[in-house]
Amino acid sequence: MDFNLKSSFFKPALKMAMEKTGHGRKLGFSITGVSDGSVSLVYPYDTEAVGNPVTGVIHGGVIVSLLDTCCGCAAMSIMETPSITPTVDLRLDYMHPAEPMKPVYASGKVYKITASVIFCRGVAWQDDTANPIAHCVANFMRIGAPKTNLSGIFKAGISRMIPWAK
Amino acid sequence: MSGDKNKIKAEDFTKNLREARDSSSPEKILDMIPYGNLIGSKARLCEEKLNLMLDPRQSNIGNPSLPAIHGGVIAGFLELASIIEVLYWLEIDCFPKVIDFSIDYLRPARYKTTYASCEILRQGNKLVNTSVIAWQDNKNLPVASARCHFLIN
Repeated sequence: MDFNLKSSFFKPALKMAMEKTGHGRKLGFSITGVSDGSVSLVYPYDTEAVGNPVTGVIHGGVIVSLLDTCCGCAAMSIMETPSITPTVDLRLDYMHPAEPMKPVYASGKVYKITASVIFCRGVAWQDDTANPIAHCVANFMRIGAPKTNLSGIFKAGISRMIPWAK
Repeated sequence: MSGDKNKIKAEDFTKNLREARDSSSPEKILDMIPYGNLIGSKARLCEEKLNLMLDPRQSNIGNPSLPAIHGGVIAGFLELASIIEVLYWLEIDCFPKVIDFSIDYLRPARYKTTYASCEILRQGNKLVNTSVIAWQDNKNLPVASARCHFLIN
């Protein structure tokens, strides 16, 4: 098995950024798979995130967050140097409502890389990948020399967990 | 099941919805949706226009190094603004179903109060089309713009 320096640092950095900080931490996302150009996540159902109080179906915003994170991480995974890839736009089609009390799985893949844009596709499902809840397409900017990089996220994460280590 | 106790009966939902419209208080509709509380949004009426606001919260951050609000939170907030707009202004009793949602991120959403205002572009028998923008300091410099389709029966 060959040792890949980039991916061996990328996965823990990504886990730290997405699971331990901000909105990903609040919703309880966990990364289930990372490879070059593809990232998968899982969201455990939580009554806090309900969007339809009559049926108990989670709000669409959670699905957007999930797929935006998936596709954004997939876009970041193809960058040669660790950097942030801002979302240009995202379109989401809802095929059917997510069933309450069940986790939602999502996967995002890069399908085209150009000099300045990364094109991604994502899909979210519960029981059956062939019967998805939602499908999305999202485009990301490719920024060469980043001001904001993963080490910034690392530092922010560390200073949040260990406030005295400034 | 623990999820059931947070559920509202359909008839109670309709009753609360009518009360909210009669008393001109859209925040009563927002109070019924747990996701609104999760991201920390508030609704208010200002000169017959419905505005939603989102206070900065640690748990809404997507990029901690800027810091910037998570793109998914902005999208969820805009979707919520559309749902409240549809439920408040249109004479429907059921919960609108989202069919598709498309968002353009125009500027980074900084860690400060964000506002949303929605416009219903078309109401048909089955479909409603809405256009919604999010801004922070200046309404003429939106941070994101979205459009949304809902199914109503």
